Amino acid sequence: MADVMTESEADVAVVGGGPAGLHAALVLARGGLSVVLLDESDTLGGQYYKRRAEQLTAAFGDFRPRGTELIRQVRDSGVDCRTGTLVWGAEDGGRTLFTSDVRTGALGRINTRATLVATGAYERSLPFPGWTLPGVVTPGFALHLATMDRVPVGQRVVLAGTGPFLLPVACALLEVGARIEALVELNHPYRPGISSIGGALRQPARLAEAARYLLTLARHGVRVEQGSRVLAAHGDTQVTAVDIGHEDGGVWQLETDALCVGFGFRPSTELPRLLGCDTELDPTGTEQLPVVDADGATSVDGLYVAGDCAGIAGVHAAGVRGQLAAHAILRRLAPERARVRVADLRRRRARALDRFAELADRLYPLPTTADIPDATQVCRCEGVSAGEIREAAATGWNDLHGTKAATRAGMGPCQGRECGHIVAALAGRGEGTAECFAARMPIRPLPMAATIEGQEVQ
Amino acid sequence: MTQPDVVVIGAGILGASAAFHLAERGYRVVVLERGAPNREGSGTTAGNLHIQAIHTRRPGQEVPVDSARLLPLQRRASDHWSQIEERLGADVELRRGGGFMVAETADQEEELREKHEWERRAGIPTEVLTGDEARKQLPLLSDRVRAASWCSLDGYANPLLITPAYLAAARRLGVEVHAFTPVTGIQQVGDDYKVLSGDRSWTAPVVVNVAGPWITEISALAGIQIRMSPVAIQMHVTVRVPPVMHHLVQHIGEGMSVKQVSAGNLLIGGGWPAAALDMAGRSTVSVPSMAGNLAQAGRILPFLGELRLLRMWAGPLAATPDEMPVIGEVPGHPGFFVAGGTYAFTLAPVWGDTLARQIAGEAPADPVDDLGPGRLLHDDATTPVSP
Amino acid sequence: MSTNSLPQTVTVTIDGTPGQAWAGQSVTAALVSAGIWPLRRNPVNGQLRGPFCGMGVCLECEVTINGRPGSRSCTAHVTDGMDIRTHTEPLQTAAHG
Repeated sequence: MADVMTESEADVAVVGGGPAGLHAALVLARGGLSVVLLDESDTLGGQYYKRRAEQLTAAFGDFRPRGTELIRQVRDSGVDCRTGTLVWGAEDGGRTLFTSDVRTGALGRINTRATLVATGAYERSLPFPGWTLPGVVTPGFALHLATMDRVPVGQRVVLAGTGPFLLPVACALLEVGARIEALVELNHPYRPGISSIGGALRQPARLAEAARYLLTLARHGVRVEQGSRVLAAHGDTQVTAVDIGHEDGGVWQLETDALCVGFGFRPSTELPRLLGCDTELDPTGTEQLPVVDADGATSVDGLYVAGDCAGIAGVHAAGVRGQLAAHAILRRLAPERARVRVADLRRRRARALDRFAELADRLYPLPTTADIPDATQVCRCEGVSAGEIREAAATGWNDLHGTKAATRAGMGPCQGRECGHIVAALAGRGEGTAECFAARMPIRPLPMAATIEGQEVQ
Repeated sequence: MTQPDVVVIGAGILGASAAFHLAERGYRVVVLERGAPNREGSGTTAGNLHIQAIHTRRPGQEVPVDSARLLPLQRRASDHWSQIEERLGADVELRRGGGFMVAETADQEEELREKHEWERRAGIPTEVLTGDEARKQLPLLSDRVRAASWCSLDGYANPLLITPAYLAAARRLGVEVHAFTPVTGIQQVGDDYKVLSGDRSWTAPVVVNVAGPWITEISALAGIQIRMSPVAIQMHVTVRVPPVMHHLVQHIGEGMSVKQVSAGNLLIGGGWPAAALDMAGRSTVSVPSMAGNLAQAGRILPFLGELRLLRMWAGPLAATPDEMPVIGEVPGHPGFFVAGGTYAFTLAPVWGDTLARQIAGEAPADPVDDLGPGRLLHDDATTPVSP
Repeated sequence: MSTNSLPQTVTVTIDGTPGQAWAGQSVTAALVSAGIWPLRRNPVNGQLRGPFCGMGVCLECEVTINGRPGSRSCTAHVTDGMDIRTHTEPLQTAAHG
């Protein structure tokens, strides 16, 4: 192995350079530990503090300057920042990480004394007829194009799904000149009832933010349809029309250049699950989350998890949770430099933010998977339909893993990241536990050249 | 059906095959499976059909396989597999594209020639090719290949399809399959065995223990101590690519098997040891084994270096202490049969047929007395199976 | 937000046809701007596919960039003279047809 992998050492590895990872790395480095910060992307910042390319920043300005400042502080603090570095595997409770250079495929092994996983989240998609057509994308994709690249995903756009995230995406699209044909929200979050007011009082800032976005949409005359969902997307080589259904039974069709559909976020938990940490159901009942204490320590000694991969709670909670985990690691590895009282204050804040995440789950509940038509593809990679999955589950022989084996659902290049929660729901054996596909190495498809050629050189 | 003729314990490929062959003969069969069928070794194996003699050691394997001994059984297996899709009425992605077993050194080439002589005697058609002759047939082979033995009968079947196909055919013949039904006790009741799963039970004169790595545990429930040496081995699969080769490629000196499956993925294995066998959950893969297996496969088939590794996994292999298969009735325990051990995938149709014949009191198509479980009994002074 | 001037325009070649894009843009942005949505075919059913997640998870947006197949267009950035190839031609017949 030594011949194919470049070895390195650090006190702590932080996997993921988003808000949680950045805040954690800063605390750890300032605490005197050697820190390596790893991110698959070619820039730090993660999804929230993502970086506009230099050439575009010169023309369009800095995107989220707070992120720029945070990244500068992290670099100045002596953190070994390795972007373009995929962590594709791990063992020994996370004290050994296997990496691959995204550009060259070169392999590396990092040995640490503790590891913090801050791999964030990605968007939750739910299948419907036509969702694999080109032009059907996640809202995050449209946001990325609008904010980073200043490109509208289409001249005419339909936004759909559920969750507060649809609002800033809509506003970003308007800013780059797209026309939003409709914002189709599954739930009724924008007529707050009694149940949401208590939460709203706790987090007035978040609701004020939503109100600002809604005002912008109203000013642009954007049609906001609540209690509605996408029934199907149509098109030959790309999407051209969308069927929308209202819960009262009404159905109408919109012509569009692009359809963005998302149902909130899913935590990226592959690494902690690969390392065998205990998991539990998240509040939506659809995800297995690493079990963590208030500092982000998992059941695996020396392995910590912070940010959205420990449960969706947004950027502010992510930063705080990253710092809390870093303080916990400091207490462990450099007790003389740990600042315990600060951590206590921050722990209270993290709890408050977690409560807001629970509120979001109440306002934006997920739809059932029961009405996904049999003919609809669930696994995009392997082209497996809901009917095939149901049929495999109906034999009574198959649990989730057996269903995967029987249908190939989840065996494609995305490793079941897009379809795993759906297959689990369709194949569930109904004991109140959402299973999930086993996390397997490599976490992303890994070029084999380095392994093979490395050995040749020997 | 609480009083079947036979209770089969384990719904891997051997249990499924045994149930099918027994049902074909009119036996009433119940199959009990602790989890989902085909989940363990049978569903995680490579699916190779080894008709030419196999390499004798997995990486790290201490006792070599007596591969010459197995050849008549492989010859028999080849005939079974040729008819299997028709017999089961199912597509199991059976491919008989033939296989190369390559040699890189003079010693290895000598082994190929020795093995070719065994194969000739067993009636298995093979020929030893020079490196250039082999490369002419499969230009993807590297210059490192000095010689290769070629067997047109080698191939593979999809391990995710064959066991379900056996089970489906067995069910059509009246077999009951109970998944998620772990066996918790086996009691002797007169001449019968009462097999318990919690508060459910089945009573039958014959029990077939084909529980793979759990053969020892299941036997112990009946008071029988059978020694097994289960290990976990690992597999590697690339992303799908357009068709590039339809052969099975193996190595005479090292554990290695490479093939492209119907879906287009390249499957790379060879019995490299996983990091750990976890009988209670998921065995963990070994990165050094990954690196070793891929490097070796890439040395023989350099085009693999252009591909991406999609996934790897570890699965149990129900090996025996002497690395030879085990099949037959347990001495002193009439009606209690065991089958398992190495190369169970290739041999599954033979083992199903053999068990059915033994249970019917007939002689097996090929003698297997030397492979009986007596040698693995704890209280027995075992004699080595190899001549 | 400062808005000095438009970014530097560079030449990229998409499936042999030269075009303009902003240096530093994601390759998917250049493709979407050029109106090119289908990027590849699903190897199982031959369906056309385009970018979906935009963050490197779904792998639907893979194209060949400067001769390197399997490049995720959503995480790659445009450089001058970049050669981008999509793969929307009909599939070969199934393995071992």
